[in-house]
Amino acid sequence: MRAEARSGTLLSAPYVLFLLAFAAYPVAFALALVLMHWDLVTTPSFAGLDNVKLLATDTRFWQAVGNTFVFLGLHLPLQIVTALALAVALNRPMMFRAFWRAAFFLPVVISGAVVAILWNALYATDVGLINALLVKAGIAPVPWLTDPRVAMAAIAVMVTWKNVGFYVIIYLAGLQYIPRSCQEAIELDGATAWQRFRHLTLPLLLPQTILVLTLSTINGFQLFIEPYVMTGGGPLRRTFSVVLYMYTNAFSYQKMGYAATIGVALAMIIGTVVAIQRKVVGTAEAL
Amino acid sequence: MPSVTFDHVTKRFGDVVIVEDFNLEVADGELLVLVGGSGSGKSTLLRMVAGLESVTSGTIRIDDRDITHLAPRERDVAMVFQDYALYPHLTVRDNLSLGLKLRKVPKPEIARRVAWAAGMLGLEALLDRKPKQLSGGQRQRVAMGRAMVREPLVFLFDEPLSNLDAGLRAQMRIEIGGLQRRLNTTTIYVTHDQVEAMTLGDRIVVLANGTIQQVGRPIELYRDPVNRFVAGFIGSPPMNFIEGRLDRNGGAAFVADGVRVELGGEREPVPVAAPVTLGIRPEDISLVAAGMATSPVSGTVVLVERLGGTSHVHLDVGPNRLMAAVSQEQLPAVGERIEVYVPSARVHLFDAGGKCRTARP
Ligand SMILES: Nc1ncnc2c1ncn2[C@@H]1O[C@H](COP(=O)(O)OP(=O)(O)OP(=O)(O)O)[C@@H](O)[C@H]1O
Ligand SMILES: [Mg+2]
Repeated sequence: MRAEARSGTLLSAPYVLFLLAFAAYPVAFALALVLMHWDLVTTPSFAGLDNVKLLATDTRFWQAVGNTFVFLGLHLPLQIVTALALAVALNRPMMFRAFWRAAFFLPVVISGAVVAILWNALYATDVGLINALLVKAGIAPVPWLTDPRVAMAAIAVMVTWKNVGFYVIIYLAGLQYIPRSCQEAIELDGATAWQRFRHLTLPLLLPQTILVLTLSTINGFQLFIEPYVMTGGGPLRRTFSVVLYMYTNAFSYQKMGYAATIGVALAMIIGTVVAIQRKVVGTAEAL
Repeated sequence: MPSVTFDHVTKRFGDVVIVEDFNLEVADGELLVLVGGSGSGKSTLLRMVAGLESVTSGTIRIDDRDITHLAPRERDVAMVFQDYALYPHLTVRDNLSLGLKLRKVPKPEIARRVAWAAGMLGLEALLDRKPKQLSGGQRQRVAMGRAMVREPLVFLFDEPLSNLDAGLRAQMRIEIGGLQRRLNTTTIYVTHDQVEAMTLGDRIVVLANGTIQQVGRPIELYRDPVNRFVAGFIGSPPMNFIEGRLDRNGGAAFVADGVRVELGGEREPVPVAAPVTLGIRPEDISLVAAGMATSPVSGTVVLVERLGGTSHVHLDVGPNRLMAAVSQEQLPAVGERIEVYVPSARVHLFDAGGKCRTARP
């Protein structure tokens, strides 16, 4: 018994150390920084609740929160609908199915910065491919990244495109678990293709939908590299995300204590939003 | 009430022929049982009627309507699946009503039919449960109910009882038979349980390799199987077979190592000495005191199984193994040499091709 306990401790030690070094320590450090002033160079000094008070009244922070919610409002429905539709399409027998599945997954493994640069080119107002196609179709070109009304939507579309392959895999796995006989039964029960999706596929994919919603919410709140590379937070600060604001405070203004405060606040917002989503959508146990 | 007609139906998967030139008419209100070994094409035939499998050539009609190429939902047939195929996210009530809702049946009518089916199947107390919260037999009933509420032209059953334990299977078999007689809906029922086939079927179709071996009322198939396959398939426990030949010295008799069965009555002539197989059902064999039988078959008892009412006595007769199903109390001991009586009137003779030469016309 004792030998077993010892080998258990030994075997879990690397992971425990890893957790301590890369999760527990940074979290504790960030929490401590909330109460500090620190410019990365001089020794940190105690700040009391200065950072928290500043955050409460910082309109730029709250604007960034609002921007991020706008982003999520566009991105989440788009992400779920596209992932679901693609998964259902890719689940049918077709030529080169493996190729198509791989093709949609590819952007997931490409670096976000590379994707941002690529879409910068696609979105370019004068020479971009998208506007070239619009013009060909007789539609006026759209200043995708410079019009404050469309910039965030443009970013939401490209983030959706980048991540869709990952969520498609989650949905494809869920589709495997829908019994074939149930699909045949509903067909005999008189369902059209749409009704089959609406009354069988969609409800049976609820656990996957909850997972996709949670993951893309957490991921979406961390929006950073796209506005950083493509818009710098503009135009009119409309694409300034919470994480971009945190980054700016940390590395442009050297306000590490305040940046940590923003990070902790963001974590709390994410936790609250995910909890509300679960309440509303219901948990997978409902099945 | 509609009939179902198979007209030269053939099904191929790639180059493999699964069902070949299948012709059959299922009469109005009839319960037709399809039996056959695994892979004989039973499910394929059923699924072609449902529209879940395409027909390679030939036509299937319900009454005079050609349904060969219609989508499943346009056929107005209902199917009970082997795994029940209940919708896991819906309550029993919604499982029953979904098909009606999709067909835009008015709400009061849906409620009426659900109440009717639930009443008939004893599901009233379970209407708000999910399939996960039901026992196997209850799920089976819900699957039946889902087919019933639709009031379809045809019921299709694909081994509906094979996932139930023996006791429940017997009970549900009786319920299904009773329901079908009351509803009088034309039904095709696939099984490889021959007790289900014998008790439920108005007629039985025995299938092997996608072709019909014999069609008839259960008792006809039991009494007069047209070939060795049907003889071995219908009846439980299965028929005994002994390979041998015919001997005409002093009257026709079947002879094999340790066996001589005198054959009385008019028979289609089978060439003497051609290999012949004799078939005799276990329940037609009786044990006799030594020296009492007119044409004795003697063998050594190797196993005695007492089932309560009846007992199975297995004996070695030359190279053959025979089994007698008897109801007497006094049974021989293992190792004992005994004589059994094989009544010639109950004997079936099969030629080298397996065709029965003793079938009554
Ligand atoms: N989609 C398919 N592609 C190729 N062959 C198939 C397909 N479906 C069935 N088969 C073959 O067709 C034959 C008949 O299958 P079917 O399911 O009709 O048999 P069955 O009589 O219902 O058998 P069981 O009693 O095991 O259910 C089998 O040999 C099977 O392998
Ligand atoms: Mg089958």
